[in-house]
Amino acid sequence: MSEAGKTPLIRLVKRVKGDMISPRKIWAIRIGSILFAFILGMIPILMAGSNPFQSYGIIISGALSKPGYIRQTVKRAVPLLGAALAIAPCFKMRFWNIGAEGQITMGAIFASAIAIWFQDSIPALPLLTLMMLAGIAGGALWAFIPGFFKAKYNTNETLFTLMMNYIAIGIVRWLQGGPWEGRPGTQIIPMFKDNARLPNVFGIYCGWIIVLILVVVVHIYMNFTKHGYEVAVIGDSINTARYAGMNVGWVMMRTMLFSGAICGCVGWMLVSGANGTLNADVAGGVGFTAITVAWLSQLNSFAMIIIAGILAIIGKGSTTLQTKLNVPASVADIVSGILLFCMLGCEFFINYRMVFRGKKEGKV
Amino acid sequence: MKKLTVVLLIALLALSAVFAQGGSETASKSKATKIGFVVINDESDQGYTWNFVNGMEAAVKQLRAEGYSIDLLYKKNTTESAICKDNNIELAEEGCEIIFNNSYGFEPYMLEAAKEYPNTKFVGMTNCGSQVDGNPNTYNAFAAIYEARYVAGIAAGMKLQQEINEGKIKASEAVMGYVGAFSFAEVISGMSGFYLGAKSVCPSVTMKVYFVGTWGDATLEEAAANALIDAGCKLISQHSDTTSPALAAQKAGIFHVGYNTDMTKVAPNASLLSSRIDWTRYFYTFIKNHIDGKENKSDWTGTYAEGDVKVTDLNTAIAAPGTQEAMDKAIKAFHDGTLKVFDLSTFTIEGKKGTNETMYDSFAAVQGNATYDGFFHESELQSAPYFVGKIDGIEWLNAAY
Repeated sequence: MSEAGKTPLIRLVKRVKGDMISPRKIWAIRIGSILFAFILGMIPILMAGSNPFQSYGIIISGALSKPGYIRQTVKRAVPLLGAALAIAPCFKMRFWNIGAEGQITMGAIFASAIAIWFQDSIPALPLLTLMMLAGIAGGALWAFIPGFFKAKYNTNETLFTLMMNYIAIGIVRWLQGGPWEGRPGTQIIPMFKDNARLPNVFGIYCGWIIVLILVVVVHIYMNFTKHGYEVAVIGDSINTARYAGMNVGWVMMRTMLFSGAICGCVGWMLVSGANGTLNADVAGGVGFTAITVAWLSQLNSFAMIIIAGILAIIGKGSTTLQTKLNVPASVADIVSGILLFCMLGCEFFINYRMVFRGKKEGKV
Repeated sequence: MKKLTVVLLIALLALSAVFAQGGSETASKSKATKIGFVVINDESDQGYTWNFVNGMEAAVKQLRAEGYSIDLLYKKNTTESAICKDNNIELAEEGCEIIFNNSYGFEPYMLEAAKEYPNTKFVGMTNCGSQVDGNPNTYNAFAAIYEARYVAGIAAGMKLQQEINEGKIKASEAVMGYVGAFSFAEVISGMSGFYLGAKSVCPSVTMKVYFVGTWGDATLEEAAANALIDAGCKLISQHSDTTSPALAAQKAGIFHVGYNTDMTKVAPNASLLSSRIDWTRYFYTFIKNHIDGKENKSDWTGTYAEGDVKVTDLNTAIAAPGTQEAMDKAIKAFHDGTLKVFDLSTFTIEGKKGTNETMYDSFAAVQGNATYDGFFHESELQSAPYFVGKIDGIEWLNAAY
């Protein structure tokens, strides 16, 4: 009695080296979790009065079955991938930068400033380059501020970066209704002229090429540079890093600058490519979804292409689902939320082992 | 272990087979004309979009009754951002032949999509850029809501005059309050029409306007209404999307004139009536013309005479006696063409007769002279309102751009 009362029914034991499960089993758990998510996701679809199999079919076909659909899907994947790449180094360092949203927005503001001030006087190529540099500067600045305070005063970076998001979005609102507003009262910044717009390649603005280049850049930065190594060491143990003589504060600030620069670049691509102008929804939640992308891909930049792609397919497919079956958009959001939850949750079962009451601890 | 893998693989295969089936199922549908509608909010707003959706549903019902085969696809809760462009593209990809957009802020994004889909017709409602953008597949539509507001203003003026006649208030206390969204032409034109309607039956009336700087914020609108009531207003009207000004008026024991939707249900002791646009005829005509292969106007203005703007049923329990007759007289005059809302003999601007310069919106897409024959020709050069005169008797408490 006393024995059973003290021991919980299920205990969780973290898997350590030697206790790891086989890679094949890991993938079985991952695929199983996706299947489980699909089954769970049927509940809200059924509640909305639709056929779940048909709904899933529409989600997939609505994202991939026509060139026009694929273009829209890629358009969604680009900023998601870009933002995930940006936050990966921070997360590797265990620096919880959840300010990608604001850094993208800030980059978008800076890039838009160049577009608005100079689109009448500078031709396309130098203008776009200037916009990109400004965007990178804007994003880097917005990331540097919390990085600086974390390094100098050990402030909580999670709260700091989060709050910075709202400030950036607030600035756009002010610009939209104030200095950059087109016709008074409209709250709209006019569309940029053609020389401030990124050209299309295969019918999609060329941001997809830029972001694929960034995949390689981030991969090299993280795995083959001294910087990347320092980031990894700090992520494992700040004390080890200090002991090894690393300037931890500076590495934090430098990594945040790098991260913010990529976010700023994404912001630039959004205003000059996808959107054609600046508005408060420019980041549109991408900075937050990117956290999921980064985690699911375990900070591997090439895996991020796949994960961002999957999320973009679900996102685009959900809008088609809404159009075709008149399913409320929120139901599609619930389904994708369930999927993300299961995908992230299954990592738990890979890293932990359940021990049932009465059974022995196991082989270890 | 191997067994588990096999089971999972089979399950995956089965699932993908189902996906494939689900996808093809929807591809084979009848070849009805597909109509797309991109809307801000959804019909649960009981105001702006609700009014549009009602018009569209009525038009489609009417067309179906006449034997036209129509599929109606909505993109609801669209925001004034790149999402709007995506939603337009989505509908165009679905094969919609006409795509309507119901918010001013949608137009720039809609026009982007229109460039990519030249065979699809795009309609920017309540906007003015499509008619002048040079693309043959883009359209604008608006309605002369200032006429309906004029008629609603008569009901308001009659009520205040009744209170003056009964000695409840002094002539100088006949002050109306107006909750406006933004201080631009659409609102200014409407509130001026409302004021002139009231003034036509209550000569001593004046009006205070408070702009909230947003379209649908119940809290801000309520605060604005209360501020106006505190400033001595005896009746509240509004050009904003929620019913909270009506509730504020009811609470203060004064009267109210609404917009978009009949507000007598939420404020039976305050709300006299509402003015609204009825989009049914426009949707009906545009879709019918399209299917019949006829041209549609690139810019369309609905009028009172054609039934495109109207007022809801008068709340006879609280309206002043004779109100319906007074309104009917004005409505008849709109039909005859004898009544012009912006008749230069009925108002002044800074003590002087209005001129085109003091009344015409310099930001309007179309510029020109609308001031001749003794009145300001609103909504004739373009459907979207362009009257921005600050007429005497209306006091702006603030401005919100």
